[in-house]
Amino acid sequence: MHGRVKVRTTEEEKARKEKEKQEKLKVFKHAMQKIWDKRKKEELDLELMELTGKVLTSNPDIYTLWNIRREILNIFRKDMESEGQQLVDLYDAELRLTEYCLKINPKSYCAWHQREWVLTTRSNPDWKTELALCNKYLKFDERNFHTWDYRRFVISQCKPSLKEEFDYTTEKLLDNFSNYSAWHYRSKILVDLHPDLEAGRPIEDEHHKHELKMVESAAFTDPDDTSAWFYQRWLLGAVKTTVDLVVCTISPLKTTVAFNEPVSKDYVQMTTNLLINDVSVNGEWLPCEGKKYNNVWIFKHNEIIGDNFDIKVEYNRENVDKLTILCIQKNSLYIGRNNISFQRKYSEPVIKELKKQLDSCRQLLTMEPDNKWTLLTTTFLLHCINAKHYHNEVIDILKTLQIKDKMHAGYYGDLITKWSIELQLEDDYRNEELELKVKFAEKISSLPHLHYYSFCENVNLFNQNLTSRVLSTLSVLQHCKKLSLENNNLTTLKGFPSLNLEELNLRGNKDLDMKEVEIFKQQNNYNVIF
Amino acid sequence: MSFNTKDVVLKEDRPKTLLLQKHSDYLAGYGLNKDDYEYCMTEHIRMSGIYWSLTAMELMDQTSRMPKSEIIEFITSCQDTESGGISASIGHDPHMLYTLSAVQVLAMYDRMDAVDVDGIVRFVTSLQQPDGSFFGDKWGEVDTRFSFCAVMCLSLLQKLEAINVNKAVDFVLSCMNFDGGFGSKPGSESHAGLIYCCVGTLSICKRMDALHADELAWWLCERQLPSGGLNGRPEKLPDLCYSWWVMSSLSMLNRIHWVDKNSLEEFILACQDAETGGFSDRPGDIPDPFHTLFGLAGLSLLGNSSIKLVNPTYCMPQETIDRLKLEPQVLHV
Ligand SMILES: [Zn+2]
Repeated sequence: MHGRVKVRTTEEEKARKEKEKQEKLKVFKHAMQKIWDKRKKEELDLELMELTGKVLTSNPDIYTLWNIRREILNIFRKDMESEGQQLVDLYDAELRLTEYCLKINPKSYCAWHQREWVLTTRSNPDWKTELALCNKYLKFDERNFHTWDYRRFVISQCKPSLKEEFDYTTEKLLDNFSNYSAWHYRSKILVDLHPDLEAGRPIEDEHHKHELKMVESAAFTDPDDTSAWFYQRWLLGAVKTTVDLVVCTISPLKTTVAFNEPVSKDYVQMTTNLLINDVSVNGEWLPCEGKKYNNVWIFKHNEIIGDNFDIKVEYNRENVDKLTILCIQKNSLYIGRNNISFQRKYSEPVIKELKKQLDSCRQLLTMEPDNKWTLLTTTFLLHCINAKHYHNEVIDILKTLQIKDKMHAGYYGDLITKWSIELQLEDDYRNEELELKVKFAEKISSLPHLHYYSFCENVNLFNQNLTSRVLSTLSVLQHCKKLSLENNNLTTLKGFPSLNLEELNLRGNKDLDMKEVEIFKQQNNYNVIF
Repeated sequence: MSFNTKDVVLKEDRPKTLLLQKHSDYLAGYGLNKDDYEYCMTEHIRMSGIYWSLTAMELMDQTSRMPKSEIIEFITSCQDTESGGISASIGHDPHMLYTLSAVQVLAMYDRMDAVDVDGIVRFVTSLQQPDGSFFGDKWGEVDTRFSFCAVMCLSLLQKLEAINVNKAVDFVLSCMNFDGGFGSKPGSESHAGLIYCCVGTLSICKRMDALHADELAWWLCERQLPSGGLNGRPEKLPDLCYSWWVMSSLSMLNRIHWVDKNSLEEFILACQDAETGGFSDRPGDIPDPFHTLFGLAGLSLLGNSSIKLVNPTYCMPQETIDRLKLEPQVLHV
C-alpha cells in the first residue's frame, strides 16, 4: 500500500501483466488451500513447514502462517527430550527464513517477531550473531525502527555495558548527524548512564554540558537538519521539576486548592490540610475537572466561613519541610498564595554553555538572518537563560517567525501567549492582584496556567484572540462571578463548563449563533450579555 | 528560508476538488471481483479492510452501498468460539487488530448482537500482561497498538473496567520519549502512528494530563513539509495516512491550528486518483481503501463540510460515538 507508483502502460502490456498475476494467484490459492486442509487434518509436519515457508517468502505478513510454523516447532520441541540436531536445524532454518523475508520487507512485523520468538524459545541463542545482524541492517538503513527495536531486544538479552551502546550512538551520529533514531536512543541511555543523583536533575552537569556541545557541532553544521534541534530542546527542558501547591481560595460557598501540575485525589488527601482557627477541618476532595488527575481540587466541608477568621493551609510533601500558607481575607474571599516562578534553573556550568551557544546563534543570524531554526533556537536560549530579562526580544523574534514560518504561526502565537502569561503571573502573584486581565499588548490565543487564576472573582478576557476550543478550560474558574469574553472569536458555546457566574459577556463574537446563545441563556441562571 | 528536506512537489494538473462520487464508486467496486489479485493478496487483513471501506462510506453518507448482511455474516463466522477473538478472515487466527476492526464495524451498524460479546471481552482481557501491556494474540508480541485496540474495543462494548486501566495507562506512559512522543514499546522511537495509538489510549482512559502536550504537539506540527503533507518521523517523506495520525493526535491535544490547514488540504486532495477514485499515500501512487479512509477522515478534521464529522480518538463517525454516549477526552488549553 506504500510507495507503489502508478505507471501508464499499453493495453497489451496490461493484459500480459494481468495474465502473469492470475497465474501467480492460482499458485497462491492452491498453496493456501493445501495449508488450510492440512491444518484442519492436524497434519502439523515438515511438509506443512515447507508449504507455509514457500508462501511466506513472497508474503511475509500472513500472520497465521507464522503461527502454524510455531505450532509445528512446538510439537517438535515437546517430542524431543533435549534439543537434538533436528530441532537445532529447524530453528536455524527458521532464522534463515526470517532473514530472507526481511530482505524483501524489512518492515515486516511478523518476520521480526518470529525471529525474536525463535531466539527466546531455543536454548543457547547466539546473541553476538544477532547484534552483528543489527549492525549490518543499520548500516543498510539507519532509520528502520524495527531494526532499532530488535537491537534493544538483543541488548536486553546479552547485556553489554551501557557505555558500549552509548558509544555506538556517538559513532552513528558522527557518521550522520541527521540520524534521529540515534539521537533518540542516546537520550534513553544518557539518563541511565549519567543521572544527577545529587541535585535531582535528570542529567549530570558535565554530561549535560557535553551533550549541548555535541548538539552545537551538529546543528551548526547544517541548521536545517532538524534532528539535533529536537535533542537540544529536550536538553534545555532537562531541569528539576516538582509538584507544588499554587493557590488556595476559601469563600463562604466554596474551598479550592490549585496545583502547578495535575494531581490525584490520594495526593491532595495526603499532602493538604485546611485549618480554620487552628482546627483541622474534615471534608472530602472533589475533582474540579471531573478526572482522576486535576489541577484544581474542591474541598467539600461543613464549616461556616465568617469574617476575620484565621485560615491556613498546610502542605506536607515527602522529603520537603512542611509549608504553611496563610490565607488572607480580601472582601468575602480568603486567598493563600504560594511563591511561584517559571524560570528554568540550570547549574552554573550549563548556564555558561547556554550563553556561549547564544553567542554562536547570534553570529549565525548575522550571516543568515532568516533561518527558522536559528531564530527559534535563539528564542529558546534567551528564554531559558533569563525569561524576564529577554522577554521583549523573545516576543519580537516569535513575531518574526510567525511571518517567516507561516505554516507554524499558530504554534508561535500560543508560545507568545504562554510566555507572556507566565511573566504576568509572577507579577500578579507578587502584587497580590485580585483580578485577571491581560496586561500586555499581544492578544492571547489560549489560556495556559488558567488554574493559577482560580481565585479570581473577576476575569476580563476582553478583546483577545480566543476561539471556542478554549471554553472547556474555563472550568477552573471556580470562584469567578464576572467573566468577559467580549470581542473574541467564539463560534459556538459547546463545551462551556457549568460555573456559578453572575455575569457573562459574549458581545462582539460575531460568528456566535444567536439561537444558540438564546438556548444557552435559558439553561443558565446568570446574566448573559450578547 | 532555505529548505532541503525530503518532500514531494505537487503538480499543477493534480486534483484540486474533492471527488466524492468517484471515491464512493471506487469503494463500492472494491472486492466485487473475488478473483482480483490485489483483493486476494490482502485476505490476511480483510477485517480491517472492511472497517476502512465502511467508515469511509459512512463519512461520505454512502453506507447503503456496502453489502451489510454479507459483512455481518462474515464477522460472525470469523469469531473463534474458543478464545472469543476475531480473525482477519475465515481460516485465519484471532488477533487483537481484527477483533477491534470487527467491533468498530458492528458499532457503526449497531449490530453487536451478531457476535459473542462476552467472548470478545474474555479474549481482550486475557491478553493483558502484569506490566499493563497487551499481547496481539497468544504468541506474545507486545506493542502499544494493541493497548489502544484493547481499550478502544472494550470502551465500544462499554466494558472498559474489565481490564486494569491504571496499569494499561502506566505501560503506555513508560513508552514516552524525550520528544514527548511514543513508540511501540518502552525504548522505541517516536512515530506518528504510534503517537496516535498512545494519545488515543490516554484519551479513552481520560489521562491526557500525563502528556507533555506542548513538546509533543510541537514535534507533531513539525511533521508538516513545504508541500503541505505530513511525515511520520523527522527526515521522512510525506504520506497521506499521516495526515490522520498527526491531525487526530493534534485534535485530541486541542492544537489542530498548529499546522497549516490550507496546504495540508491541497496535499490530501492531490493524493486522489482522478481516474479510478480512491486516495493513495502520495500523489501519483496506486490508491487503496486504507488511504481512502484516512484522506477523507483528515479532510473531515480540517472542517470539510461535505464529509461527516469524524471522531479523532475512534476514527469513526461522531454520530456513532454520540449514540454510544462515549466521551473520549480532549485536552484543555
Ligand atoms: Zn500511508
